[in-house]
Amino acid sequence: MEYVNPEGLRLDGRRPLEMRQLRAEIGVVARADGSAVFEMGNTKVIAAIYGPREVQNKSQQINDQAVVRCEYSMANFSTGDRMRKPKHDRRSTEISLVIRQTMEACILTHLMPRSQIDIFVQVLQADGGTRSACINAATLALADAGIPMRDLVTSCAAGYLNTTPLLDLNYVEDSAGGPDVTVGILPKLDKVTLLQMDAKLPLDTFETVMQLAIEGCKAVANYIREILLENTKQLEFRRGV
Amino acid sequence: MAAASGSDLSSEMEVDAFRRLFPLSFHERHLLKSIRPDGRTLGKARDTIISVGAVTSANGSALTKIGCTTMLAAIKLEVMTPTVESPDEGCIAIDFHMPPICSPIVRPGRPAEAAPVVAKQLSGTILSSGMIDLKELSLVSGKAAWMAYLDIYCLDADGSLFDAALLSAVAAFSHLQIPVVSLNDEGRIVLISEDNGGGKLEKEPVNKEKRKLKLATIPLSLTCILHKNYILADPTAEEESIMETLVTVVLDSSSQLVSLYKPGGPVLAQTSAIQDCVALTRQRLKELQKILNEAISDMEVD
Repeated sequence: MEYVNPEGLRLDGRRPLEMRQLRAEIGVVARADGSAVFEMGNTKVIAAIYGPREVQNKSQQINDQAVVRCEYSMANFSTGDRMRKPKHDRRSTEISLVIRQTMEACILTHLMPRSQIDIFVQVLQADGGTRSACINAATLALADAGIPMRDLVTSCAAGYLNTTPLLDLNYVEDSAGGPDVTVGILPKLDKVTLLQMDAKLPLDTFETVMQLAIEGCKAVANYIREILLENTKQLEFRRGV
Repeated sequence: MAAASGSDLSSEMEVDAFRRLFPLSFHERHLLKSIRPDGRTLGKARDTIISVGAVTSANGSALTKIGCTTMLAAIKLEVMTPTVESPDEGCIAIDFHMPPICSPIVRPGRPAEAAPVVAKQLSGTILSSGMIDLKELSLVSGKAAWMAYLDIYCLDADGSLFDAALLSAVAAFSHLQIPVVSLNDEGRIVLISEDNGGGKLEKEPVNKEKRKLKLATIPLSLTCILHKNYILADPTAEEESIMETLVTVVLDSSSQLVSLYKPGGPVLAQTSAIQDCVALTRQRLKELQKILNEAISDMEVD
């Protein structure tokens, strides 16, 4: 199957180095301390943060830092065929762990000892790149909740099909069986916090694909900064500053 | 006792602290003036918004908001073999989820108490109201019929969960479009996608075109809280947690009573109180019907 046609266009009409359209909104769940919706093309994800609050399971309380907990779940209708077990299957558990460890690295947990921060992510529509969309949504939601962080965490995925590196794969491209490299970075500090890949890829091609994903992450970071600035201006305006 | 100590301290502390420490007296002070903390009168419901077609990958979907309570409903159709007792009928499976994002009291590993209760109520109301004729979901008698999976996700739980869930279920069914399918040579139902429908049409389509379900009647509801002599319509989560007696009334489009639900509670209701609840529901029904019709006609214009 041809994923990049001879004119250089992908199945959905994008160029190989083009990301899908990003759209984000903060403060969507009124009851949560922080929340955000993040869309990358047709992938739509909603994240809600509850915390810092009292640790619910006292045995897990840590005396000098906060406990971070994360749950990833997909809505039954989010994928093409209706999902039977959206929550505790292996993939969801793995992604929950990945998101937790990624966010834990950048939250300043030592500032909130003996407390708990809950990150809940719900996928409403899945079209490839759900892991990245979840991390981006969680970053925005944490910023909305006012939880101190070292830096934003942004994430993006890239692949390699028909001998072309492709940025931001959608579901069809992802299921093509080619390599899929997901990268999460701290943009200001320019450090990589998440790097996952399955499939075989020669090392120099891997370098190219990883660089491409990092560029994608930086583009997402710029967009997230714009959204947060816009949100702050709105808050200022509402307070009459 | 609590009320007395509340009024002694009320002049000495901030409103927010008073609201947290003595919630009942905070609300009662408002009720004395026939108003609620968010400024509504006792019989008024919150602003309602309906948006159909929110989930593009589903056959029918709707997003509804009553105040801050947000529900996302989506219907997916799958083909199944009908049962022997009813070979011309399809089936509807209704599921209500409260994921942890919706409320601070829901935790992973400890699902909300309200979720299965609302799910059961919804199932009962939708199936018994006669809104959908299951015969419309049949494809080939005795061999194939549609199974409609309705999944409702609560994205923000701020009181009146059943009302918002029923509204979103009804809106999703109004938006549902049954896709075109045909029977292939092995006797299996196959989806005809729009692009290859023109060319190789050796298979006769079972249903000619995408059609919508005919809804016989549309059940809509209102939940009220009874507290002493007051009746509060459309409670928020805060009001529900302090004043626990709920009455839910479901009426259909001809204002006939479909369901009445009062699951116990400290306040015992007189018949007059129940009748007042039904009257409030009748008023709310007209508002909701208007909003629902606008939302559906907006969608059709697109």
